[in-house]
This record gives sequence, structure tokens and C-alpha cells, in this order.
Amino acid sequence: MNSIIFKKEIYTYFRNLNYIFLPLIFFFLVISIFPLVIGPNKSLIAKIIPGIIWITIIFTSLLSSSNFFKDDYNNGIIEMYLTSEKSIEFILFLKIIICWFFTIFPIIIFIPIVSIMFNISLHTLTTIFLTLLLGTPVLVSIGIFGSALTMGISKNNILGPIITVPFYIPVLIFSASAIESVSNGLPYDLQIYVLLSILLLILPTMPYLLKYTLRISINN
Amino acid sequence: MKNIDILVDNATCLRGDNLIFDNISFNLSNGEILFIMGPNGCGKTTLIRSLCGIQHLENGCIKINNVNINNPECNFLENLVYIGHNDSLSENLTTYENLEYLNKFDLSNKDEFISNPNKFLKFFDISKYKNYLVSELSQGNKKKVALSRLLFTNKKIWVLDEPLSFLDEDSKNNLIKLFLDHITNGGLIVTSTHIDFSNYFEKSKYLNMKGININE
Repeated sequence: MNSIIFKKEIYTYFRNLNYIFLPLIFFFLVISIFPLVIGPNKSLIAKIIPGIIWITIIFTSLLSSSNFFKDDYNNGIIEMYLTSEKSIEFILFLKIIICWFFTIFPIIIFIPIVSIMFNISLHTLTTIFLTLLLGTPVLVSIGIFGSALTMGISKNNILGPIITVPFYIPVLIFSASAIESVSNGLPYDLQIYVLLSILLLILPTMPYLLKYTLRISINN
Repeated sequence: MKNIDILVDNATCLRGDNLIFDNISFNLSNGEILFIMGPNGCGKTTLIRSLCGIQHLENGCIKINNVNINNPECNFLENLVYIGHNDSLSENLTTYENLEYLNKFDLSNKDEFISNPNKFLKFFDISKYKNYLVSELSQGNKKKVALSRLLFTNKKIWVLDEPLSFLDEDSKNNLIKLFLDHITNGGLIVTSTHIDFSNYFEKSKYLNMKGININE
């Protein structure tokens, strides 16, 4: 029934394939440069690669979400949303999910290739996988929130990331802690539950927050 | 027929420290059209945006049927369609898909467009662009696609920002015909314009944004 609303979001990516490939290629470029700088120390790389994956993911998600509303704002679609009597929370929710699905999810799928490149054990790989699945939707929604805040400012390229990156820290801390626990052979379910609860807190509330932020930003 | 009154009382708008306009007052009721005129940068767009509730007023108020539009209980958006100078079209969708999308946001008239899209595309002569991406269209054609929203809405208040820009002679006449139809059916139109086409209308009002006077 709402097929055209789905279609619009999906076509944004399908008709601009660079939106999908840019994050993917950026991620692999950065990841593959690291060993060149660190040197061929197998045990050191195995120890720090989960952290590198997470940091690279953060920059990738900033790349895809910091200008998230720019097109819709410039084309007047945000104005149209706010002057329509239809409620837009569901659309904003869809936007977050689809942005995550097309920009970050492909990277998560290719993480096993990274694990082969860097000799990551299967157990650590599963944890990285799990923390990424639970953590990245939060990163994307916070990034999108930052882009909504700075949408009306014409030279906003740096302000959005400065506002949003501090909010990434809880997700980062618990993911890093989960990965460290698993590589030391300790249980890590606590951290996973915390990540899950952050996800369940952020995802449903973000559309409402976004709606009010858009309303304020459009006022500039 | 539903009666609608728009009352703008002493509206003043600041952006930062800049005064955009001050003490704008007018009222408008069924069957009337208001032309907002004035030089570039005099605040026409800002006034139009504040009528739609997306621009904050420093002072004064806007009431529709005697209810302030800032009041959460005032669901004036049910009656209002706004077309800004950005056309609200997605570059990644085709003409048809864009109109289908815009139609979804207009709850006043659910499926008339879906059941017979060609009828609506024909009005502004954009049928042949039905499956073109909007990014491939010229400015004038984009404007026509955006204005096609007016064909399938049942809302009474039309708030339009520079609807005539980029349009060719035929489309201009079509649009004026559309306006006349809407006015005869008891609709209200607020439009900013540089081209005076008030001679087509019996009951038109002017708002000259330089001075604050309304001539009947």
C-alpha cells in the first residue's frame, strides 16, 4: 500500500549506485592501508584490527549520513513533509533503516573477507559481527540526527560530525569491551545486552526526535 | 461548502537580527485570491512559509477560522496545499512516480491520480515526460509537474510561491484557468508573483510588501 514510499527511498540508492559503493570502497581502502603502516606484525594486527574495523565504520557512517537530508532539503521535500497532514514518523524510520541497509550492511556482509585478510579467529569474528549489527543502526540514526540539526546551514560540512561523534562513544565503549572480553576468553553477553538496549531505545524514538528537529531546522 | 477565513494580524518576522517584514495584516475568505507583490528580498517567501506554519513569527499571529495555526489542535494542514519555489520533486524519481509520491501526502483525495494519471498529466502537457527522471526535465517542466499537484487535491487553501516562474504562455493560461476554477468553487489562493494577472479575477486583493496597504 505504501509501495511508492518504499520505492522513493530505495531508488535514491539504486539510481545513485555511488551512494552504495562509495562507503564500501572507502571502508576497504582504509582497512587495507593499515597493515602497510603498522608493519607485518601478525599478533599486533590481530589484536588491534577489531578496533580499526570499528573506527573505519564510524568514518564510513559519517560519510553516508552527515549530508543525509541535504537533497531532500534543497528539493523542498522536507517542506512538503512538514506542510502535509500525513504523519511522517514512519517515513523517517524507513529512511534510517534503508540508509543503514544500503550503506553499512554491505560492509558488514564483507567483514568475513577482512577476517581472512587479518587472520581473525572465528569466535572474535562472530562478536565483531554481532556488535556491528547492533551498533551501526545506532550510529546511522545519530548521524542522521546530526544532519537534521545542521540541514538549514549552508556550510554545515563539519558541524554535524562534531555534534554527533560524542554520542557514538557509548556504542563504541561497549563494542570494544565485548570484543576484548571475547579475545580474553571471558563472557560478553552483558555488553551485547547493553548494545541491544541502546538500539531498542534509539531506533523507535529517533523518528519523533527527527521530526521535531526538522521542524526547528527548517525555521532557520 | 466549508467556510474558511484566513486572518493575518500584525505579523512580524525576524531572521537573526534582520527584520524581514513587520506589521503585515490581511484577511482572506472563500473565493478570494491574494497577490503578494514586491521586489526581490522583501520577504514574500518568508511570509508564505509562515502561513504554512514552517516559519516562526516574532510577533503577531496567523489565524485560520479564528484558531491560531500554532495551536496544536488547529489541523489547518488538512485544508492547505503549499508549493514552494523548490518544487518538492525528487530527482531520483520519474514524473509519474513523483506525482504518485506527492499524492500519498495529500489525504484530501486518495486515489484519483492513481486511477487515471493520464488525465492529470495531460493538463499541463507533460504526458510525454511521464517516465522521464525529474533530473532530466527542464525548469519549466519541473514547475509544471509540481503544479500538477493542484489538479488532484481537494484542499481549499492554495499557498503558492512564484507559480508562474519558468512557465510558457500556454501553461500560464492553463494555470490561470485552474485558479479561476478553484476560486469559483470557493477556494482561497495566496500567491506571490511578479506578473500581475489580477485582471482575470473579480475579487482579488493585493499585498504590497514594500508598504503595508491592501487595496480591494
